[in-house]
Amino acid sequence: MSEKPGSGPSGFDRRAFIAAAAGSALVPMAARAAAQDANVSAAQDPALPVDVTLRVNGKDKRLRIDARTTVLDALREHLKLTGSKKGCDHGQCGACTVLIDDRRVVSCLTLALAAEGQEITTIEGLATDDHLHPMQQAFVDNDAFQCGYCTPGQIMSAVACVKEGHAGSEADIREYMSGNICRCAAYPNIVAAVKQAAPEIMKG
Amino acid sequence: MTAAAPEPKANMGRPVPRYEAAAKVTGRATYASDMPLDNPAYAFLVTSAIAKGRIDSFDLDDARRVRGVIDIVTHENAPKLKESKLFSNGGYAGTTIQPLKSADITHDGQIIAVVIAESYEAAREAANRVKVSYTAVAPSASFDSPGTTTAAAKGQNAQFKEDPEVGDFAKAFDAAEVKLTASYETPTQHHNPMELFTTSCAWMGDELVIYEGSQYVYGLKNGVAEQLGIDADKVRVVNPYVGGGFGSRGSMTPRTAIIAGIAKRLNRPIKLVPTRDQGFTIATHRAETRHEIKLGAGRDGKLVALRHDGAEVSSRPDAYCVGGTKTTTRLYACPNVASLVSIVRADRNTPGFMRSPPEVPYLFALESAMDELAVKLNMDPVELRRINDTNVEPIGGKPYTSRSLMACFDEAAKAFGWSQRSPQPKSMSDGDWLVGYGCAATCYPTQMAPSAARVRLQRDGRTRVEIAGHEIGTGAYTVIAQTAAERLGVPLEKVAVFLGDSDLPPAPVAGGSNSTASTCSAVMMVCDRIRQRLFKAVMPSDSLTDKAKETVGISQAPSTQAAKSDRPLDIEKAFDALGVGIVEEYGEWKPEGAPLDSFTAMHSGHARLVGGHQMKDKIAYAFGAEFVEVRVNRFTHEIRCPRLVGAFAAGRIMNPRTARSQLMGGLIWGMSSALLEATEIDERNARYVNDNLADYLVPVSADVPGVEVILLSEQDDHINPAGVKGLGELANVGTNAAICNAIYHATGQRIRKLPVRLENIEV
Repeated sequence: MSEKPGSGPSGFDRRAFIAAAAGSALVPMAARAAAQDANVSAAQDPALPVDVTLRVNGKDKRLRIDARTTVLDALREHLKLTGSKKGCDHGQCGACTVLIDDRRVVSCLTLALAAEGQEITTIEGLATDDHLHPMQQAFVDNDAFQCGYCTPGQIMSAVACVKEGHAGSEADIREYMSGNICRCAAYPNIVAAVKQAAPEIMKG
Repeated sequence: MTAAAPEPKANMGRPVPRYEAAAKVTGRATYASDMPLDNPAYAFLVTSAIAKGRIDSFDLDDARRVRGVIDIVTHENAPKLKESKLFSNGGYAGTTIQPLKSADITHDGQIIAVVIAESYEAAREAANRVKVSYTAVAPSASFDSPGTTTAAAKGQNAQFKEDPEVGDFAKAFDAAEVKLTASYETPTQHHNPMELFTTSCAWMGDELVIYEGSQYVYGLKNGVAEQLGIDADKVRVVNPYVGGGFGSRGSMTPRTAIIAGIAKRLNRPIKLVPTRDQGFTIATHRAETRHEIKLGAGRDGKLVALRHDGAEVSSRPDAYCVGGTKTTTRLYACPNVASLVSIVRADRNTPGFMRSPPEVPYLFALESAMDELAVKLNMDPVELRRINDTNVEPIGGKPYTSRSLMACFDEAAKAFGWSQRSPQPKSMSDGDWLVGYGCAATCYPTQMAPSAARVRLQRDGRTRVEIAGHEIGTGAYTVIAQTAAERLGVPLEKVAVFLGDSDLPPAPVAGGSNSTASTCSAVMMVCDRIRQRLFKAVMPSDSLTDKAKETVGISQAPSTQAAKSDRPLDIEKAFDALGVGIVEEYGEWKPEGAPLDSFTAMHSGHARLVGGHQMKDKIAYAFGAEFVEVRVNRFTHEIRCPRLVGAFAAGRIMNPRTARSQLMGGLIWGMSSALLEATEIDERNARYVNDNLADYLVPVSADVPGVEVILLSEQDDHINPAGVKGLGELANVGTNAAICNAIYHATGQRIRKLPVRLENIEV
């Protein structure tokens, strides 16, 4: 590092602060003043931490993160919600698919800052009271996975696929589930699972 | 029941759902990169932008200025690591090219620097700010590039022992009534498992824990220890779930020891998440191959001469090859056979095993040629296979332990509707679509390796099975749990299985489709010992103990026989008689014909695989037959594959549900190897061009409308106690040939180079 500690624009030792915050990214309430300061400075240096509140699976999560942090990395590296997977980080594979305000999005191409104020639903938020969501149960029943790495993304995508009205036929399911790669190629079983769960999900 | 869970036939286990199903659908299954670390630093790789030459200098000023950067490691300050031999020469490594050792660049995308920072974002930015000055040398990219060297595989690759031959090929071919000579070509392919090639390393004093997706935790543990120069007992590799392997995680890659060394120096856990494109060059791949096949036959279709010459590309330092002639020279009856495998050295990263390494390229050539021969003979291609079917392989004259090839052809043909095919090319169509039917044989050697297991049984029936096997999507947890439940006579839901941890008893590499046969045979043996102890406790007299021994079905008896003679055991009564709370057994199993050093090798991370054609007095293979329908649009030349039908016989099927899924995935892989997958190489710069999941085409749901898997009942008492042949690599073999055969049938055009894309069709 060429920069000396304490030489930041506000005189605040950001390097030491980042080092301390990196391990447990949840910010204590006492850091509020520093947080505001950080958000102002972020406009000048993208590497400075910013405060963001993400609503994940119905709960507000306050984070202090690099402004370039994606929703995926915020979930995985900062909130320890590792169900959403990184398969390409380019929006090409779909393993990171989550629902944001009920729309399926690739969380690797969505900045955490851009998701503030929206409802993020991940695979961890799908089951309720220890009961599997109908789509999760359908994936089990139809053996719709092998290694399982793409599965959280497939399931989130499948839930949205049904709600979008794109699960009316097998051909439709195949088309509208083609944004999610399964390298084990469980595709026929995935289509069968979506078909099985669709009526139950539409029923509500 | 659903289509996913077929009704078991004779010699098949129950189609129970996957052991880890709930964990996988809820996101609770923890893969290596999901493991929590205490205050990790993040690593980002910098890889070379040239394929050959040297690094003159780095300019790291910009990179170092990035906020949060902790360290930048290059060859000038990298941890010193010991070399590791290639796995095929008795080592652990998938390549002997050791990055960060010198300024030399040996291939495109070689690791040349590692940036460590407080966050992933900072590490990535700094890595992008590393400036490198190179002196580049013109590289040799592939077969047709100037500067490659070519030599016979035999003598330079320790695992390639022979170019199989028998009789007098030249004479027989000259005299043959019908002759075919044809050349075939298959492309470079990358495994692209969904989970990236991540590595996390954490030290506790002098003990290292590695979280990395691996198909061989004992190999990785011992390999990293060797490179770091520390005791292997100080290294633990943990990965309870692996996000796909397909061969890419079977041998050690250079990244692991580098990250471990840096973590030690910084005294901090490090998490490396390489990018998808880096994965194309920091691990292995399937090399491109070329083949020439010569077939001579009588007018009756009987083969009289067969020659298969193959050439494969490897890196400059490593003589890797797959050498599939060991299979193609033995598949059909033929008295005069010759073959030769050559290795072409280019400026590339070292290739490695990818799902059915020898069979995918080599059977493409043979099964395409068989179809061409059938056309020359004006004979149904299924009948040509029947005429040349054999129960004795022609090279060594050894009998197959079992062979259901023609039964597979007949079952699959019936399900597919092969009889509806009109034999003439271009004779079937549907609107704008030319329709073609094609078929091909598949086979894969039955392989086994020494394996250990520990089983613990409690009085209430709760059972714990520990074995350092690997769940790469194959159903390993499930079939091991089923094996233990069946052998001990306890309910399946009382069995807990622990895999993917090198602190557990050793299992072999999850490769060569040996895992189920090896690990289940070990678990059976250990469970039988527990049963024996319990029987002894409740039947103390000698005669009864002997009888108990018989009925328990110890030793090499296949599970089916044991199951038949199984007798109920009152576990609680036995525990009371023994006066203990827990019975635990550890055991080491090795297959027939395993070398003397098998068990010591097993503990030091060397899997001694035996089987296939290397067995004494016999040869063991699983077989199958695949039928495909292809549609080629007569105007756009778009190629679709609406139907894939495969019938397979692979000894005992432990679980028809997981087996069907794996074979189904295999069929789709086979289709993909024919129509989609190829890593494109920039011929001038020897660099991979389409190194991402948008440009490297893999199948998606829309590509696979109809797949049907037929499991044939087969019993083989001559392979291993589990009676299992293995099927993970059976279904993606031959599919590529079946598709090209169907394209010929649809269009009249014979295509001998993969993949087939619409621009290759000239209707």
